[in-house]
Amino acid sequence: MTTDTSAALARLRGLHRDGALAERFDEVGPLLAAMSAEDAARAARLLARADLDAARELHPRLPAVRVTVTGHGTLEALRVALVGELARHGYVPSVRLTGFGSYVFELGDPGSELYAEKPDLVVCVLDHATVFDEVGVPFTVEDVERVLAEKLALWRGLAARYGESGSGALVLNTVPLPRLWQARLLDHRSRARLGAAWRRANAELLELGASADRVVVVDVDPLLSAATELSDPRFETYAGAHLSDGLLGAYARELGHLVRARTGRARKVLALDLDGTLWGGILGDDGVEGIEVGHGPRGEAFRRFQGVAKQLASQGVLLAAVSKNDRDTVLAALRDHPGMLLREDDFVRILANWSPKPVNLRALAEGLNLGGDSVVFADDSVHECAAVAAELPETVVVHLGDDPALHAATLLADGWFTTTEITAEDRARTRRYHEEAARSEFLAAAGSAEEFLAGLDVSVRLAPAEPGEIARLSQITLRTNQFNLTTERLSPEEVRERAERPGSRVLAISAADRFGSNGVVGAVFLRARPEGLVIENFLLSCRVFSRGIEQAVLSAVLHAAREAGFAEVHGRYLPTAKNGKVRDLYPHYGFAPVEEGARFVHDLGEIVGVPAHLTLHAEGPVVPEASPEALTI
Amino acid sequence: MTAAISRAEFVDLLRDEIGLAVAAEDLGRTFDEVPGWDSLHLLTMLVLLEKRVSRPLSLPDFLDAASLETIYELVNR
Repeated sequence: MTTDTSAALARLRGLHRDGALAERFDEVGPLLAAMSAEDAARAARLLARADLDAARELHPRLPAVRVTVTGHGTLEALRVALVGELARHGYVPSVRLTGFGSYVFELGDPGSELYAEKPDLVVCVLDHATVFDEVGVPFTVEDVERVLAEKLALWRGLAARYGESGSGALVLNTVPLPRLWQARLLDHRSRARLGAAWRRANAELLELGASADRVVVVDVDPLLSAATELSDPRFETYAGAHLSDGLLGAYARELGHLVRARTGRARKVLALDLDGTLWGGILGDDGVEGIEVGHGPRGEAFRRFQGVAKQLASQGVLLAAVSKNDRDTVLAALRDHPGMLLREDDFVRILANWSPKPVNLRALAEGLNLGGDSVVFADDSVHECAAVAAELPETVVVHLGDDPALHAATLLADGWFTTTEITAEDRARTRRYHEEAARSEFLAAAGSAEEFLAGLDVSVRLAPAEPGEIARLSQITLRTNQFNLTTERLSPEEVRERAERPGSRVLAISAADRFGSNGVVGAVFLRARPEGLVIENFLLSCRVFSRGIEQAVLSAVLHAAREAGFAEVHGRYLPTAKNGKVRDLYPHYGFAPVEEGARFVHDLGEIVGVPAHLTLHAEGPVVPEASPEALTI
Repeated sequence: MTAAISRAEFVDLLRDEIGLAVAAEDLGRTFDEVPGWDSLHLLTMLVLLEKRVSRPLSLPDFLDAASLETIYELVNR
C-alpha cells in the first residue's frame, strides 16, 4: 500500500508540475483513491490550485458537482479538503467560498450570488466564535444563553429562506464547545449550566436537520472523538480560522459521501472475506469448532465486527461472503457455530470456492444485476486486496488489518453506504433478494420464459404517489441506473413538489407475485404540456426486469392519456453509460422517433395491451388533467 | 550549525506541498511577485514547517513576513 500511495502522489505531483492536471483529470480520481488519507490531503492542496473549470470542459463525461462554502471564519482549509474529497470520488468539483463573514447576507437574500449560481450543496459552517464573539467580556452563562437563542433564531430563519428559495441542499453542522471557553467559568455548577444550554442549542439544530426539507445538519461531535483537535488558538487568534484543519478535513470527508448519496452513487453491496475478517483462524484447517468468534478476546472482536455488518444489512446494504473455502464448510460454520452473529440468511450470496476473488466479485455483481461500482470489498489480506484493486478499479477495496478490534473503524472510516433516507424497502431488502433467489429457482424449473411468467402470478399496482411513498420514490431515482430513461436524480422534496404541482403526476409502481411483495419498484413522472402528455421519466428497479411490468404500465398510461383527451404522449431518453437497455423502449411500444434516439411521440392510435400473464390495478387518476391546449380538437 | 531545512528542501516543499511554481532564486521576491500567492498559504506553510523542523514557529512572524526568504530565515533562526 505504501508504494501505491507514494507512486500515486508522485504521479499527481508530476501532473501538477507539468500543468496537466486539468487535461488528465480522468486520472485524478483513481490516483487519489490509491493514496493514504495523509497523501490525499497533500494532493488536495495541488488540486485546489488546478484549473477546474478547464477540467470540467475537457471531461464532460465525468460528473460535475458545485458546492458553495460559507460561514463565519476562514474556511480555505475546508475548500481545499472538499476539492480533494470530491475529486477522489470521481467528480470534477467546483468549490466556491463566499466572502469572509458574509453568510448571513448570502443565505438571507434570495437575490444573492449564492442563490443565483444554484450549487448542488451549500455548506454553511457554524462555529463557537459566532456565539462567543457576541457574549462580551466578562460574560455569564445567561449571556451565552441569550446569544445562543438569537443565533438559533437566525440560523432557523436562514434555513427556512433556503428551503423556500434554494436549490440543492443546505448543510449546517453542530457546534462543539471548546474547553477554553468552558474553563473561563470557575465553578462546576456554571460549567454544567453552560454545557446544558450549549447542548440544548445543538439538539435544536439537529432537530432542524431531522425535520426541515433541504436541510442537512451534520453532527460533528463524533468527528472529534477520532483524536482531532477542535481548534488551534493561534489560527483562531491570528487568522480567524476557528476550526482546525484536521476537523475540517474530517468534515469534508463526510460531505463527500453526502454528495455521493444525493447524486445516486452510494454503494449497495458489502462483500466480505471470511477467514481473518469475520472470524479468526482458517476454517479449512481449524474446522468449524476451531475458528475464533464469540469467545476469547479476539473472538469477541470478530463477533462485534459481525454486528457492524448486520447493522448495515438491516438498513439495506446487501452482504455477500467471498471466500477461498469449501462452500459446505462455510455453510456449516454459519449454521452451527454458536458464537456467530451473522447467519446464512444475512447474506444475499455466499461465494465460497477456489476461484480468484476478482472472478467471484464480478460474478457477484452480475448475479445481483449491479455494476462493480456498487460494491465495497473488505478483506484482511493485503494480497487479495491488491488483486481486486488491480482487476476491478471501480470496486472500493477496504484493507482490514490484523487486529479485528480495528475492523469496524477501518470499514466505517468512509461512509460508503451513507444514504439520504432509509425506507421500508431498505429494511426488507435482504429478504427480497432471497425471494428473488426462489424465483430464479422457479425459473430454472420452468420449461420456458412464458411458462415461468404464467406461473409467477405477477400483479402490478399503478397509483399516484402517496405521502408515505415519497422517500422511496426519491430513492428509486437515486439508486436506479439501468431502467432509468433520463437518470434525473430527485430528492424527496423534489418528488413531493412534482407530486403536488398542478398539471403534474408522480405514479408509484408496486409489484407482487407468488413469492411475495416486491414493494414499490418503479416510478413514472408525468406532466401535461401544450403539446400533449410528457413522460418526464420512467424507472423500474433491476429486480423486476423482464416481467412485462413496463409494458403494463405504458399501456395504462397511454390508455389513460387517450381517455383524458390528450392528443399525444411524448417520451424522452437520455443515454448514460448504464441505461443502454432502455434505449429502444419507446419505439418498441409504438412511439415514433421525433429526434432520433432522444425524443419520441405516441399518437394514441394503436396502444399496446397489458400482457396476459399479469394483473394490473390502476388506481386514482393515472394522468394529470389535460390543459385546454393539450386536448384533441 | 547546519540549517533546520536546506534551501532546496524549502523550495521542494513550496512546490510539491503548496503547489507554488517557484525556484531558489525566487525566494527573495515579495509575495505580490509570486505567481498564485495567497496569504492563506502562510497557515499551511506554518503547519508543514513545524512538522518538518519539530519546533513551534510564530504565526504572527509569518504573517509579518515580506517574502519567502523571510520565512526561510524564520524557520532557520
